[in-house]
Amino acid sequence: MKRRTLLGGTITAAVLGLTFGLNSAALAQQPPIKIGMSMAQTGGLAGGGKASQLGIEIWRDDVNARGGLLGRKVELIVYDDKSSASETPAIYSKLLDVDKVDILFAPYATVPTAPLMPLVKQRGMLLMGNFSFQVNSKVGHDMWFNNAPWGPADSWAASFLELGQKAGGKTIALLAADQEFAQNLALTARDVAKKMNMQIVFDQAYPPNTVEFSSILRALKAAKPDIVYVASYPPDSAGILRAVNEIGIGNNVKIFGGGMVGLQFGAVMENLGSLLNGVVNYNTWLPEPSMQNEGTKAFFETYTKRAIEAKVDPLGYYLAPFGYASGQMIEQAIKAVGSLDQKALAKYLRENEHKTIVGPIAFAADGERKESATLQAQFRGVVDKNMDQFRKSGTQVILFPAKMKSGDLISPFEAARK
Amino acid sequence: MKRNGIFFWIGAAVFLIAIALMTKLITNEYPFFAGYVILQFIVLAVAWSILGGHAGYVNFGTSAFFGMGVYTAVFLFKVAGAPLLVQIVAAAGVGALMGFALGLLTLRMQGIFFSIATIALTIVIETSITNWRYVGGAAGIQLQRPPVTWPFSGYVQMLFFVQAVLVVLAVVVSRYIQNSWIGRGLQALRDDELAAECTGVPTLRLKVLACVVSGALMCAAGAPAAMYLQYADPSSAFNLNYSVSTLAMSLIGGTAHWAGPIVGAILLGTTQQLLTVTISSEVNVLVLGVMLVLFVVAAPEGLIGLLRRVRDKRREGKQ
Repeated sequence: MKRRTLLGGTITAAVLGLTFGLNSAALAQQPPIKIGMSMAQTGGLAGGGKASQLGIEIWRDDVNARGGLLGRKVELIVYDDKSSASETPAIYSKLLDVDKVDILFAPYATVPTAPLMPLVKQRGMLLMGNFSFQVNSKVGHDMWFNNAPWGPADSWAASFLELGQKAGGKTIALLAADQEFAQNLALTARDVAKKMNMQIVFDQAYPPNTVEFSSILRALKAAKPDIVYVASYPPDSAGILRAVNEIGIGNNVKIFGGGMVGLQFGAVMENLGSLLNGVVNYNTWLPEPSMQNEGTKAFFETYTKRAIEAKVDPLGYYLAPFGYASGQMIEQAIKAVGSLDQKALAKYLRENEHKTIVGPIAFAADGERKESATLQAQFRGVVDKNMDQFRKSGTQVILFPAKMKSGDLISPFEAARK
Repeated sequence: MKRNGIFFWIGAAVFLIAIALMTKLITNEYPFFAGYVILQFIVLAVAWSILGGHAGYVNFGTSAFFGMGVYTAVFLFKVAGAPLLVQIVAAAGVGALMGFALGLLTLRMQGIFFSIATIALTIVIETSITNWRYVGGAAGIQLQRPPVTWPFSGYVQMLFFVQAVLVVLAVVVSRYIQNSWIGRGLQALRDDELAAECTGVPTLRLKVLACVVSGALMCAAGAPAAMYLQYADPSSAFNLNYSVSTLAMSLIGGTAHWAGPIVGAILLGTTQQLLTVTISSEVNVLVLGVMLVLFVVAAPEGLIGLLRRVRDKRREGKQ
């Protein structure tokens, strides 16, 4: 009998605890403006998630130092989503129904964001996206704004393939990891190649966590492609570059890289060192003169100091300034609208161009950037074991987009490697 | 025994009525989102312990069954817009088939080798789904929920209730197995498979049966997750976390009684949900780890085992 009583008690306690215990809303006199989000603090995306969060926190401190928004302090409520899609619906429901946040920021990356889109659409909430890829294309939420510079879905592959074509490339090899992001890139690359009348001579997906790439690269080399488009994740990016260094890639390759994740992070770049030379890869922000905007320098001064404490990427170019930019955009919208009305804020964000530390941002109807600002940059003169070289301009020369261009492509790849 | 039975059925009915009332009375959606996850883990833990507890076959493949449940639902929804009930029933069917295959594996493999084979199962199935473009492949797939069915006010409330029904179903099955000849047979083969076989216990038939029932329930628990998330991707659906958590819940609760996994799942599931929204950092992983170690050291037979020991001691004291 006692066992049953205990069991009943446990169930009741759990149910009651969930319904009443968490219901108590914060009661402050002049309540702060609450911005809620989940962020990967553990799991595979944690490295990026933490850096992104630091960027947003620096903005919060800056805006509070300026007196807050609408005369109220800004407060962040952040929960760990463990890099997983299955955690975010409950977290965002907590943010909305229990914490009663005023503004929602999306978690870092596509997978944790995807399950949120129907929820925010149903609740009529504005959502500031954080580096996800095409999560709104099916849902069609008109209050979604992605801070990432991706732009139209195919612009990513298009910019790289155009660079290759200009260098005289006609045939393409595709090498992509069997994971969400890489497969999305490969998919658009196939479409773009068809449009540009380029022939795909090698198309290979490899399982995640592959470490040995020499056999794949030998097969790739045998296909004699002019352009090698790689969509890979951090561990495999390193593996692929090591294999290229060992067995070479052939003299006809004009351009190599494109969508390699990991080559944006300080630790990975320092580790790979001279193996990076010649690779043309996507990026979001680089310390080239064309990328300096109002506030950029001050932001990175603060970031560099706080990154040591927070134990995140010491460079922080990839995500952190865009987290800050999300804050700046919301700040401008709230100031212009003068309230926290979601519809009015969304209208303002959609119709205006916003000044941020990563440059001006304007949104298309689907909430992605109007124009792609995804950089394609070539590594030059990189030496081994040196983090500070990446803080200088000229180490990663921007080839695309034209507005921010800081140099021309060195081709073929074998020549650029030296 | 009879009085126990009446209490059990009354308890189950009260539980379902309470859940139904909750969906009517509570307007805040968070309890349903969080509660759904806890209920889902109760089904998984109870289902796991049918094979892992009674028969002693440690299955690390919970995520394979769960993920197959998710993808059965995704497939049926995409191909024919199948309603939730059809998704769940079909998932249970698929799970039963998978369980049957797993049961045949036990013919040749026991102990640690069986456990390793179940991990391999997860990897094989995840890789296949990753390469199946129709259900989204590696990139995942977004789903749009159909309108909610009467009498529920929201889809999450409905899913919460459906998962509660699955909990009752799983517990009824598990309790029946424990109290019937099947449970006694499974216990015999757990203690010594050879001896059980020699005394006339149909070991293979029982093992296959346990695998089929366990698999069907796990898959059924996974099916509503597709509509809960409105998104499915292989790395989330086949996340090893499901296997590890389910195992931990069963062990913490105790596998000797059908109520053990329930207690474990409620305790660990609630703790996980609370930690996510309170501490919410690497520390919560640590807390769970420490909890596991404490239970393994202090209560190797789980909470149920601990309670039994305390009760037995008290009885001895009275005599």
